[in-house]
Amino acid sequence: MAFQILLNFFIAVVWMFMTSSLTPSTFIVGYIIGLLLIIMTRRFFKGHLYVWRLWAAIKLTVIFLKELVLSNISVLMLVIKPKLSIQPMIFALPTELEQDWEITLLSSLITLTPGTIVIYVSDDQRTLYIHAIDVNDVDEAIDSIKNTFEKAIMEVSRG
Amino acid sequence: MKTNDVILQTTTKVVFFIIFLFSIHIFFAGHYTPGGGFVGGLLTTGAIVLLLLAFDLKTVQLALPFNFTVVTAIGLLLALGTAAGAIVFDVPFFTHAFDYFELPLFGKTSLHTAMLFDSGVYLVVVGSAITIIQSIGGDD
Repeated sequence: MAFQILLNFFIAVVWMFMTSSLTPSTFIVGYIIGLLLIIMTRRFFKGHLYVWRLWAAIKLTVIFLKELVLSNISVLMLVIKPKLSIQPMIFALPTELEQDWEITLLSSLITLTPGTIVIYVSDDQRTLYIHAIDVNDVDEAIDSIKNTFEKAIMEVSRG
Repeated sequence: MKTNDVILQTTTKVVFFIIFLFSIHIFFAGHYTPGGGFVGGLLTTGAIVLLLLAFDLKTVQLALPFNFTVVTAIGLLLALGTAAGAIVFDVPFFTHAFDYFELPLFGKTSLHTAMLFDSGVYLVVVGSAITIIQSIGGDD
């Protein structure tokens, strides 16, 4: 992936020298041309195009914003409800993510969405312990995190 | 008890550079806008202290292999040298000089000897603060 970005950058710089105008707009034009060339010759590269991972990162951001709004509303409902009928609990979330930054990103996303907080990462980094305000079904809560955030992060990191 | 600090450490690896960059910006901003050697030095110290909090003393010493007492001494020498340099040109002690230069990449820039004095202050602040923290923290 890093090689593809470097190649694209290189093509853009070569384009700047060919047209002998060293301006940002020429660079952007060269970058787009390089991107088209790389998409054309995608069978030469091992692994997926880096554009897909960029797309996955954008998708992750959108998912995060959506979850942020939805869970903020649900916490607001909890606060303004006259009767306190919540079911707080701490549950363990087994995770398939391996790298440090993936774990950190997942924990930050879980913590930033209201209603859930990561309180501990197990020593072997295979389990996250999460505190949630209102959970009726543990499996459902685990599934919802796994299907949204973990899947999206895995798409970014594995392409 | 050894806990798993993966979130703190990964975040520190990113945030350290942002704080360090901001400290350099504050240091250079000192002439026309708020900032300068002292605040810049303290911010750099803050970045290193964050490293010390996330990792341990030995790791940070491996990563930044400076003797911070020597850093303080270099800073003092730089400040004294800038102040004393004025005597050579037959003007009173601590007289600063400046001029405009055409630098590549920067364009027209005014270079001021107060900058050198400020770097001295910066080095003294970083060196002394880190020395204090390291000698309090390192009991072994």
